[in-house]
Amino acid sequence: MSSRLGGRSPTLIILCSLWVLVVGGLAVLRPNSISTGTMTTVLQFATILALVALGQGLVVLCGGAGIDLSVGGAVSLVAVIAMLLTKTGVPGLLLPVVCCLSGLGLGLFNGWLVAKLRILPLIVTLATFYVYSGLALALTGGAAQSGVPAFLIPWGRGDLLGVPLPFLTLAIPAFLAAAIVLGATSWGRWVYAMGFNEESARLVGIPVDRSRLIVYALSGLCAGAASLISLAWLGSGRPNIGQNLELTSLTAVMLGGVSIFGGRGGIGGVFAAVLLLVTLQTFLLQLNVNSIWQVGIVGALLIGVLLVDRLSVTRR
Amino acid sequence: MMRAIPSLNGRELTLAGALLAALLIFFAASPYFATADNLATVVRNCVELLLVGLGMTLLLAMGAIDISVGMAMGLAAIVVGRLLAADMNPALVAISGPIVGGLLGLFTATIVVIGRIPAIVGTLGLLGFYRAAIFLSLGGEWLSGLPTRLTTMLSASAGGVPVSVIVILAAYLVVWLAIRRTPYGPHLLAIGNDEERARLSGVAVTRVRFATFVISGLLCGLAATFYVSTYRNVEMTIGSSLALDAIAAVVLGGTSVLGGRCSLIGTVLGVVLLRVLQNGLLLIGVPSLWQTVVTGALLLVILAAEVASGRFSLQSLRWRTY
Repeated sequence: MSSRLGGRSPTLIILCSLWVLVVGGLAVLRPNSISTGTMTTVLQFATILALVALGQGLVVLCGGAGIDLSVGGAVSLVAVIAMLLTKTGVPGLLLPVVCCLSGLGLGLFNGWLVAKLRILPLIVTLATFYVYSGLALALTGGAAQSGVPAFLIPWGRGDLLGVPLPFLTLAIPAFLAAAIVLGATSWGRWVYAMGFNEESARLVGIPVDRSRLIVYALSGLCAGAASLISLAWLGSGRPNIGQNLELTSLTAVMLGGVSIFGGRGGIGGVFAAVLLLVTLQTFLLQLNVNSIWQVGIVGALLIGVLLVDRLSVTRR
Repeated sequence: MMRAIPSLNGRELTLAGALLAALLIFFAASPYFATADNLATVVRNCVELLLVGLGMTLLLAMGAIDISVGMAMGLAAIVVGRLLAADMNPALVAISGPIVGGLLGLFTATIVVIGRIPAIVGTLGLLGFYRAAIFLSLGGEWLSGLPTRLTTMLSASAGGVPVSVIVILAAYLVVWLAIRRTPYGPHLLAIGNDEERARLSGVAVTRVRFATFVISGLLCGLAATFYVSTYRNVEMTIGSSLALDAIAAVVLGGTSVLGGRCSLIGTVLGVVLLRVLQNGLLLIGVPSLWQTVVTGALLLVILAAEVASGRFSLQSLRWRTY
């Protein structure tokens, strides 16, 4: 059970010590930046990444060379679709539903191409990444779309005892639900089984293709929910809001101890890795490091994590 | 044995037909399309894509991929541009592109091949890293208004043919010869078909994979030289959709994304068709923002059509790493 939550057991310990290191470094270099305010900011930024990384984590876990490069494009496109629909008169109250449904639809499209047509996930989601993010830009001409219904804003920007409301009401429940489904239901075990060894999973009668379709759809749903949070938080739909999320979410998943080959790892590690990544980014921001560096550092981290992982596999 | 310009197979004939159809349609739809000016622009726009596409053909044929090619070209272009601005000898400036590209290719090869990381994930990491490097080395400004010396040198005529044409033909011929006339080609395709089997039958898998990433890097660097010579500026967004364009053109040309099958002449046709489509759509009034949408959708349609026509049978999906 604990392995379902934490992945390979050293992962969580390593992540926590790294986190302490980062926070410690910040405390030494910028003592006055450590406050509950900073924590709220970190969690606020972490919410979107957490949801997207959850979807990405499921896709990688279910194997079959699973990867979803389209997550960032999906987040941007859902935000744009939602705002354009609001402009054409769809009631604001329906906005959460619109976001979730359109995210689900984009994910289903990926899943259909991967699971039914059996095209390599990397090439499918690379193409849909360009289609989704291109559509988000083309439909808006690159301009941010205003008109987020007022009732969403207090939820998007509010916090309870320093914990942002979206984090409390969406990110945490999503991770808990995923942990329970993965750890305690037969469908969750199927995901691990098909990720670990697809052939034997098929032989014992697990509906691999249908489960994979659902996993990609769930990743789209997570992107849709992340998009809703971005709308409620920023108060507008930005056509480039999902930029670099494919890189950051994949880094979080790898850092969280999920094996790129699927079938090994857990959601708990991904959660910890998201917090570590966002803390690191906030740390760099506090030190006035050019924000462009962030994408470079995340890229280097992704490669570093995989190299360490491969080297440790060789040793075993 | 195959000739240097091989007889076209069915796929390539279809492509040539599609290209002809596209040319006719755009000719009918836009009076500006068939002007010498516009056709020259289309040909010029094909150059970098063709060079990068040749490398991508080898990578896909081997069952690998590199999505950082655009950024690698960008980094090399910055070096070329800076050397050009610093009044270096144009011949040295011209080879600085492939040198930088080759070094970047070595770096990619070390990480992906020696580190045994799935190529897509490794090159995604590199993409982020290179993008940051491009922003930082440009310092928020474009390199623009670069001297014309490089352009003059590459468009100078050698025996009636511009130097640039000779260089591009030479690059194509070298890749063609490597594939058709040396063991490298069969080894490459064997790895693409089944890496484990290739290894067991004595192919130096690691060496071939390493070399292919370096070759692709060299070609990206050469593309950078041509980019700087043509546009005489380097902008922040350089190469941002080059990887998609290259993959779409190569897949359009009949090279399999699963590896084991490649067509260089198909890549040439794919590159020209893609650039003609992009140019023609722009002329009939489709805003340029739609370009990546159209290219991405085109890639998906070709892949789905290949599945429907049974060109790749339902395979179990898996990573290829070593």
